[in-house]
Amino acid sequence: MIDVKAFEAKSNKFKGGFKSFFNEWMILFLFIFLFAICSVSSAKFRTTDNIMNILRQASFISIIALGEFFVILIANMDMSITSIIGMTSIFFAGLVVNAGVPIFWAIVIVFALAIAVGIINGLLTIYGHMPSFIATLTVMNIIKGIYFIYSKGLPISGLPDSFNFLGAGYIGFIPFPVILMLIVATALHIFTQHTELGRSFYAVGGNVEASKLSGINVKFIGVLAFVFSAVLSCVGALGLTSKTLSGNVGIGENLLFDVMTIVVLGGTSLTGGRGKIFGVVIGALFLQVISNIMILMSINSYWQWVVKGIILVVVVLIDSNSKHD
Amino acid sequence: MFWDRSPRLVVAVGMEEKMDAEKLVEVKNCTMIFPGVRALDNVDFTLLAGECHGLVGENGAGKSTLSKCIIGDNQMTEGELYVRGEQIAIPSYSVRKSRALGIAIVHQEFQLMEDLSGLENMFIGRYEKKGPVIDWKKLQQKGEEILAYLQCEVDLSIKVKHLRTAEKQIIQLAKAMLDDPKVLILDELTAVLQEEGIKNIFRIIGLLKARGIGIVYISHRLDEIFECCDSYTVLCDGKYINSGYVREINKQQLVKMIIGRELKNVYPEKNTDFGETILEVRHLTSPNAFNDVSLEVKAGEVIGISGLLGAGKTELLHAIYGNQKISSGEILIKGKPVRIKNPKQAIKLGLGVVPDERRLLGLNMLFNIKDNTTLPSMGRFKKWKIFQDHRKEAEAAFEINEKLNLKYYSLWQQVNKLSGGNQQKIVIAKWMLRNCDVFLLDEPTRGIDIGAKFEIYSLINELAKAGKAVVLVSPELEEIIGLSNRVYVMYEGNVMDVVEGDDIRQEVIIHELLGVKEK
Repeated sequence: MIDVKAFEAKSNKFKGGFKSFFNEWMILFLFIFLFAICSVSSAKFRTTDNIMNILRQASFISIIALGEFFVILIANMDMSITSIIGMTSIFFAGLVVNAGVPIFWAIVIVFALAIAVGIINGLLTIYGHMPSFIATLTVMNIIKGIYFIYSKGLPISGLPDSFNFLGAGYIGFIPFPVILMLIVATALHIFTQHTELGRSFYAVGGNVEASKLSGINVKFIGVLAFVFSAVLSCVGALGLTSKTLSGNVGIGENLLFDVMTIVVLGGTSLTGGRGKIFGVVIGALFLQVISNIMILMSINSYWQWVVKGIILVVVVLIDSNSKHD
Repeated sequence: MFWDRSPRLVVAVGMEEKMDAEKLVEVKNCTMIFPGVRALDNVDFTLLAGECHGLVGENGAGKSTLSKCIIGDNQMTEGELYVRGEQIAIPSYSVRKSRALGIAIVHQEFQLMEDLSGLENMFIGRYEKKGPVIDWKKLQQKGEEILAYLQCEVDLSIKVKHLRTAEKQIIQLAKAMLDDPKVLILDELTAVLQEEGIKNIFRIIGLLKARGIGIVYISHRLDEIFECCDSYTVLCDGKYINSGYVREINKQQLVKMIIGRELKNVYPEKNTDFGETILEVRHLTSPNAFNDVSLEVKAGEVIGISGLLGAGKTELLHAIYGNQKISSGEILIKGKPVRIKNPKQAIKLGLGVVPDERRLLGLNMLFNIKDNTTLPSMGRFKKWKIFQDHRKEAEAAFEINEKLNLKYYSLWQQVNKLSGGNQQKIVIAKWMLRNCDVFLLDEPTRGIDIGAKFEIYSLINELAKAGKAVVLVSPELEEIIGLSNRVYVMYEGNVMDVVEGDDIRQEVIIHELLGVKEK
């Protein structure tokens, strides 16, 4: 005979509540709300072309933000991403255009460089116990100096047209960057939710000491977070470079603020241990929709800084004051 | 063997005259209720002018709560408080008011700013000013006056972090003297001091008493009570036990009063079916924590490690677990010498730790029950050797938590809202799920209510019966006695004694524990 009551009690214990689902996906509901308002109020907004445009513009920045996500997840901060982007862009173009290195090998080399920078960030922060803000800020300036010395601040143009596919190509009617972004996000989602290593980032972010006592190699996880950040910034940089087919020192200049906003907007807690991959993706779309609608309404683009600033303040205020216990 | 501070009865001359000395503080029928806990239950306490009154009792007996009621940090739920004969209105009583009434407290922990000078620490927030600027000259003069009053010499101009522990304690004391208090509460002031520093404190106490100040002296070390106190009050489990003159009792009587009750039969029958030796520690030393500690524990055995705060118990557990540096000695698991460099290796060797700070070290407060339970054993639940199988994890977490009788509504519930006892069960559950051979338990019943304590006790017993080796650290003697097959008593980093079988009695252990040499 089956004990119905015990069975019901058991199955209840295997269910999460709806309330927590709503809280965790707040950004999704906000995004749907924003999207609906924009669609209703602007005819230009709801065209397929415009929506594809938004998706394409959001794709590389969300890949970059996904890297920063890992660092913020372990309650640190990576300020060096703007320089990693600049470095990738300049050295990639330099290698291909000036040194005649095949594109494949140029990509391998810039990835290796990015990994090296990530490891340096990680070593300074995790093993050197430097505050990550200062460590990565310093690294940012050093790298910036190096690629400015190499390029003298000038753009390096003349990349082959075929490379344009990465940033501007289409598969069917869907832009290639969007597909790339979805692949990266899905892979990272599976990694963070369904692998031991991925879960360890949440454990370390939530409580370093308890994680250590539970047998997690917390220092390895720490360094790995910075490597992820650097590598994904490198991917984003290649995409941005491919759009203009030239290496450019200023390519990552104003991205840091947007990236931080996206990560936090996506529900990642600045105190660590909380956040979701697709939350970040939606955060990127959210910010892109705001930029887009402001342009369509022909509002002076400087207003975007004001609006994005206010958004970041509001989101961080909510994060800092919500009780995580 | 160690410091010989044999009891010396100090009887204040003219005690009889003090019978009609002014009552500085009088507490009547004080009851203090915190949510779910009756921390003080109908306690009386009287402090006379010019006396040193020892407030004694075990951890959690209510000593600190009572002193907090007196200084206005807690407002007593019921009862009356008189300061120098005047009844105090309890609801509006505060630390600020008690200070104005001449009550000061010196805590065991340092509440000093390490990078400021001793002088500035004394006067912080109460600077003398000349116009808009601080009058350093006047402060210097005042500070020196107070030190002269205490007959102490401490260089006030150097940063506090460069001072010795005893000197820091003097600065704290001097700071408390600023308001010219009539009542001085010393809360375990000597716990961090060495012999010489303690002697100096006693000398100062004598001085202050002679000037008519009443002193409430809280200490764990019973010898000190006999050395410097005139009268005593014993608390046990928040209840008033007795008070009187120190000269009228001896130490045995005092110990009996502190322990209070008979051991209640809350402890399950100890397991006696032992297997092979699982963990052996030989001559383990960790600098500044413990020296030359050797112990062993067999399968099915519970060993207790007993000692006061600072005896090195927690450090010992962490050293075995690879989380604290060791300078010499070796660890053997199942007879094989091992080098444990970090907790990860310790876990691989079958060790599991339940740390004392459950919220800080034991659990990930942002994680749900399932994730906390399976954290150290995630490797066991994999699909195609890569992906986590959440279903299997949940099934396993469900099974173990049901077995431990955990109160929860969903496995996806965050652990932070669970009660202390339930949280502790999860910490233990995660090591049971990991199937550890050795359980290192550091104060497993800290801060959990009495019912949950009993459940943890029977859990420990079941672990032993299942052939696990258990190392139990606890400040509660009763617990150690009720659960352990063998007790190692530590004092200031050394194992003083190993007590086994029928010798595991409170009277035997408490003397070792307090560093009292038995003749």
